[in-house]
Amino acid sequence: MPRRKAEIDKDAAKEAVIGYCLKKGALAAGVADMDAVNRICPPGYRPADIMPRVKSVIALGVGGQTQGAWTVPAKALGYFGSTETRAYSISYGLAFYIENKFGLRSIYCPPDMDPDAGPRVPLQSLKVHAELAGIGARSLAGDILLHPDYGYMYFASVFTELELEPDAPLADNPCPAPSCVNMYRAIKRTPCMKFCPVQCLDGEVDEETGRQKIMRYDMAACAEMTQQYETVPSAIMDAIRATDEEDREDALFDPDNKMLWYKMSVGSGGLLAQCFECMRVCPVATQAPQADPILRHEHRLVPEAAE
Amino acid sequence: MARGLNRRQIGVTEEMMATFGEIVLRMSHNHQIREGDPYREKDWDAIERHREMMGLSDAEIAERIGLSRNQVLYIRTLMERRRFRTGHYARLLELGGGKRFRTERFTPHLDHFRYSEDALELRAAMNYPPDRARDYVEKGWWRNETQRRYLERNAAERPDAPAFVLPDRTLTWKELRDTAERVARGLWQLGLRPGDVVALQLPNIPEFAIANLAVTWFGGVVQTIHMPYRDAELQTLINHGRSRAIVCMGAAKDWSAAGAALEMQPQLPTLKHVIAVGETPDGAIPFAGLVAGDPDMEIGHEPSGADPHLLLYTSGTTSSPKGVPLNSHNMLSNARMSAPEKGLTADDRILSAAPFTHLYGLYAFHLGIVTGMANLLLPAFSPPALAGAIEEMKPTAVWFAPAHAAAMTAAGLIGKHDFGSMKMCLFAGSSSPPAMLHALQEAWPGCRVCQLWGMTELQAGMFTRPEDGIGKSAVFAGRASPGSTVRVADPETGEERPRGEEGEIQIRGPMVFPGYLRNREANETAFTTDRFFKSGDLGYMDEDGFVAITGRIKDIINRGGVKFNPQDIENLLSAHPAIQMAAVAPVPHDVLGEQACAWIQLNPGAEAPDLETLCAFLMEHRIARNKLPEKLVVVDEFPMTPTRKIVKGRLKAPAD
Repeated sequence: MPRRKAEIDKDAAKEAVIGYCLKKGALAAGVADMDAVNRICPPGYRPADIMPRVKSVIALGVGGQTQGAWTVPAKALGYFGSTETRAYSISYGLAFYIENKFGLRSIYCPPDMDPDAGPRVPLQSLKVHAELAGIGARSLAGDILLHPDYGYMYFASVFTELELEPDAPLADNPCPAPSCVNMYRAIKRTPCMKFCPVQCLDGEVDEETGRQKIMRYDMAACAEMTQQYETVPSAIMDAIRATDEEDREDALFDPDNKMLWYKMSVGSGGLLAQCFECMRVCPVATQAPQADPILRHEHRLVPEAAE
Repeated sequence: MARGLNRRQIGVTEEMMATFGEIVLRMSHNHQIREGDPYREKDWDAIERHREMMGLSDAEIAERIGLSRNQVLYIRTLMERRRFRTGHYARLLELGGGKRFRTERFTPHLDHFRYSEDALELRAAMNYPPDRARDYVEKGWWRNETQRRYLERNAAERPDAPAFVLPDRTLTWKELRDTAERVARGLWQLGLRPGDVVALQLPNIPEFAIANLAVTWFGGVVQTIHMPYRDAELQTLINHGRSRAIVCMGAAKDWSAAGAALEMQPQLPTLKHVIAVGETPDGAIPFAGLVAGDPDMEIGHEPSGADPHLLLYTSGTTSSPKGVPLNSHNMLSNARMSAPEKGLTADDRILSAAPFTHLYGLYAFHLGIVTGMANLLLPAFSPPALAGAIEEMKPTAVWFAPAHAAAMTAAGLIGKHDFGSMKMCLFAGSSSPPAMLHALQEAWPGCRVCQLWGMTELQAGMFTRPEDGIGKSAVFAGRASPGSTVRVADPETGEERPRGEEGEIQIRGPMVFPGYLRNREANETAFTTDRFFKSGDLGYMDEDGFVAITGRIKDIINRGGVKFNPQDIENLLSAHPAIQMAAVAPVPHDVLGEQACAWIQLNPGAEAPDLETLCAFLMEHRIARNKLPEKLVVVDEFPMTPTRKIVKGRLKAPAD
């Protein structure tokens, strides 16, 4: 039987929830302000559209690439870098944990796309949840969230009927890093803008304050690089429209497209998005104090071991 | 289709797509603009102002534009599809490990080089049987070797060693590499690209080597044109080869190849550039200008072993040309594998009396490239020039045609000059009279006299090795070159002949060409079903695998139904004291169909024998009476190929 809400200590519950996330491997976790989420997200994309009695949105982040992963060739980075499934498994476990511990319904919020609106529209914005929960701030790299301590993380959300006190967003935005501001002053571009393979990033930095002024993101161009599932129908369409057998064969069986069929056949959907070049050159993503798992080990685990 | 409904049900037309497609895309999240950091700061006024800039939902766009949500959904997703450009994943392939994407260095894939239709046709002609290719690759005969790779290696390992040498000029490997690269940049700047054919009509001078290596540096194909060829031959060969440029002499003593090419350009639709060595006529590009080079010109292509490398022509210089495409696999594997069997190393010095425009001369060129040895250059043959070059430049290996040695012998130069530097010499190009080879071996005791049998279609097919001795080398053209298989077969039935019996020489191996370019008729008869090349040469093989050449199938004389090969008659006639060279070929006869006619060129000062005297001379050597020539023609000079082979097709039949 669900416990009566009055019996639940909100502070203790939050401590238990956050503690669970960190114990299971999340680097950061927080609770988003539900009212703010509802004001930002348009109708149809608010938590209650998925779970009508939701009271809290919990966001958590896990570490992205290892330091070694940043050194591998770009074509292989997707294989080494993705820890998003770890984020999902923690949030999935958290939903069970809340139901078991507090007797209140919870769901792991699917990090997927809206089947009604197509693959460029998320079912829910994990970005908004994490930003409002104070575990990330929008960067010039197409609004990818960065954390001053943990750099670039993968996020997951849990919706629950458990009522929790919301956290505040981050007090400061780590983007742009001082070195990026220096570069901007020199060439009017930050590293992520300069090295994007499809030049989908643009923007302006306030050279006096060193803060973001304008972020421009061509998501359509980014999708051409990262969302390879969109290539699938295009490749098939190219094959259908091909005027001769050789072009048809190219459209379906060149190595790029054969990789698509391979990824689809083994169900490795995560590997359909493989471009990390803006993050590879981002000093926050790669050099934030605890973005580096090696440094993290020194900062966190070694002192723990000494205790 | 949107939410299960098709465009007719939703009411979207192509015109509606055209009208609203752009605005729907712009208002969607496909293009996002954010000013400041309003979400983190919970600046609600700014967040409201941002809604459209950051991208509206389909329902919000519908409300704003005045469409239904389904119409917006349909238009947006279809616009996303239509704007989606594929193939971008390849942009990642060279990144990582410290390499970053740089717009200024990136060439969109659609803008990348594409082979021209002519180049693709030439590549399609490199049509080797798959079982042969597999065999050659598995055995290590075909490797990814190119002239450029060997040139780079030689320049790195032997930078100051001589590569091409004239008596008054030496080009080291480093100088050659650097010059070839500069000229390659110049050719690239002219618009020449991989697969483009560039004709070279040059004597054996350093510019030939530079041009050849520059063209193949970026994957161009070298077409050689023999120096004696004039307007008619040039026009035929350039048109058939679809050559994009010609590198030739600006002025020679009696003719300007560059001037002729410029004049003929209206009749040569593919020829875009005439590049002149030396004096440069108006309209031509000076070769020296290419040598100056543009250091900033970037060549974005490096050829591979399987790329076409050479386009040579065997015959039919004015009609029905037979183009022979060859790749680096063919040419360089043959040179690489045969060099050690000839005892040739980087320390040797090779001199070819044959021109580089012919594959026999090019064989010396290729051997130089793969071993790193020096090629000594003889720009034009004359008996004194050759004898003098050998004495002065001291080659250790010399490539002769029998006619070269015959001319030097006739001029009394053999005993007059110092030939002591030669440790081996090679005879090829036409049948070598055994008596002459024995005499030369005797005159040059420190030199191993060898023979080679080759063709434009295969470079070195057979040769005798230095250790085989003059006993074999005087009689036999050689045994199979490394990797090749030679057999003697009945030209009509195709059955292999027993050892010692005459038949057509057939050969298969890693150096054999894939087939004639744009000549289906010739290709249908060029190969056996098991892909042996039917050489058209007649010969027999001894028990040790040595093959003696006895003639050409087409030279066989059919006298009243009795067929015979006239080569033994030619050899005997050449041994006559008054005769320098002889040829026997059929002439028409009303009753017999054909009868034998002998053409002879006399030694200087010799008196011409009559037919009766010659027949008596032949009968002394117990020749069958029916093989005796029945006509005799004395010529001042035989028509010769560039490798000093008599062109029988141009011998004029005697008037009755």
